[in-house]
Amino acid sequence: MAAPSMKERQACWGARDEYWKCLDENTEDASQCKKLRSSFESSCPQQWIKYFDKRRDYLKFKEKFEAGQFQPSKTTAKS
Amino acid sequence: MLLLIWAPKVWHRLSPLKPPALLWTPGGEAVHVRYRLLSRQGPGERGRQTQPQGPGFRTRLLITGLFGAGLGGAWLAARAEKERRRQQQRTEALRQAAVGQGDFSLLDHRGQARCKADFRGQWVLMYFGFTHCPDICPDELEKLVQVVQELEAEPGLPPVQPVFITVDPERDTVAAMARYVQDFHPRLLGLTGSAEQVAQVSRSYRVYYSAGPKDEDQDYIVDHSIAIYLLSPDGLFTDYYSRARSAQQIADSVRRHMAAFRSVLH
Repeated sequence: MAAPSMKERQACWGARDEYWKCLDENTEDASQCKKLRSSFESSCPQQWIKYFDKRRDYLKFKEKFEAGQFQPSKTTAKS
Repeated sequence: MLLLIWAPKVWHRLSPLKPPALLWTPGGEAVHVRYRLLSRQGPGERGRQTQPQGPGFRTRLLITGLFGAGLGGAWLAARAEKERRRQQQRTEALRQAAVGQGDFSLLDHRGQARCKADFRGQWVLMYFGFTHCPDICPDELEKLVQVVQELEAEPGLPPVQPVFITVDPERDTVAAMARYVQDFHPRLLGLTGSAEQVAQVSRSYRVYYSAGPKDEDQDYIVDHSIAIYLLSPDGLFTDYYSRARSAQQIADSVRRHMAAFRSVLH
């Protein structure tokens, strides 16, 4: 299976960005973005979809972390 | 040796004082005696009764000063010599590294065999990646190409050779590399080879890579360290740029290295 060309890569990234924009607007509710999801899945190789999904999770976590939503526990009691 | 200059005079000074010293009362007398001793060592020695044996105060000071200066000069010369020898050893070590280390034998995207010596005399910006890379490799290569283009536009700067080396020799054949590099820059050179050759060049440049699990399409992603390496015209590793550096920062850094470069190979 040949690697995606520059055009195919850009099409994939475009579809991904559309899908992610939809998720941003719907607070991660994937059921609202089914059409964009299927467009994303048809533009990109499967490995890339898995990779981008993981990347999305990581970016969301990073946002929360930088916003300070994860605080160290105040007590040293075992959790 | 300084004592020899000073001691006879001091000895001579002290000897006439010895009998009165026995009669010292603590406090006033001792201070008075000391004052007399010091005033005798002043420059105005003309009115004194006992003649000095040996050189005068100024002469002694001059001799001490010259001796000190001589010592200082010898120390500086020894330090300079040590520094020079250290530099020589370093240059020799660099020369050996330039010739012996980091050598590779790979195929470029036109099927020609290439080794490190082929790039001698050129500045090289090198990136390790693979053609099936989702986003990082295209981004980094775009950045690398931007740097090359910015430096190309400046007259008087030597051209920089962009190089892309695969960490996925299984899939990235010569043809695959040719298809990939054409999208970035006409001078971007793709390098590939056998698994052993790629392992060897990655070891030389301390690049980590690990192919991930294959899916149903036999597709996989190769996890790898991300850096753009700068090699000097001697073939020596000069600098590296992480993902965090912008094209502008990299171009500025390359320009600085070019200005400071002195070849160890002639």
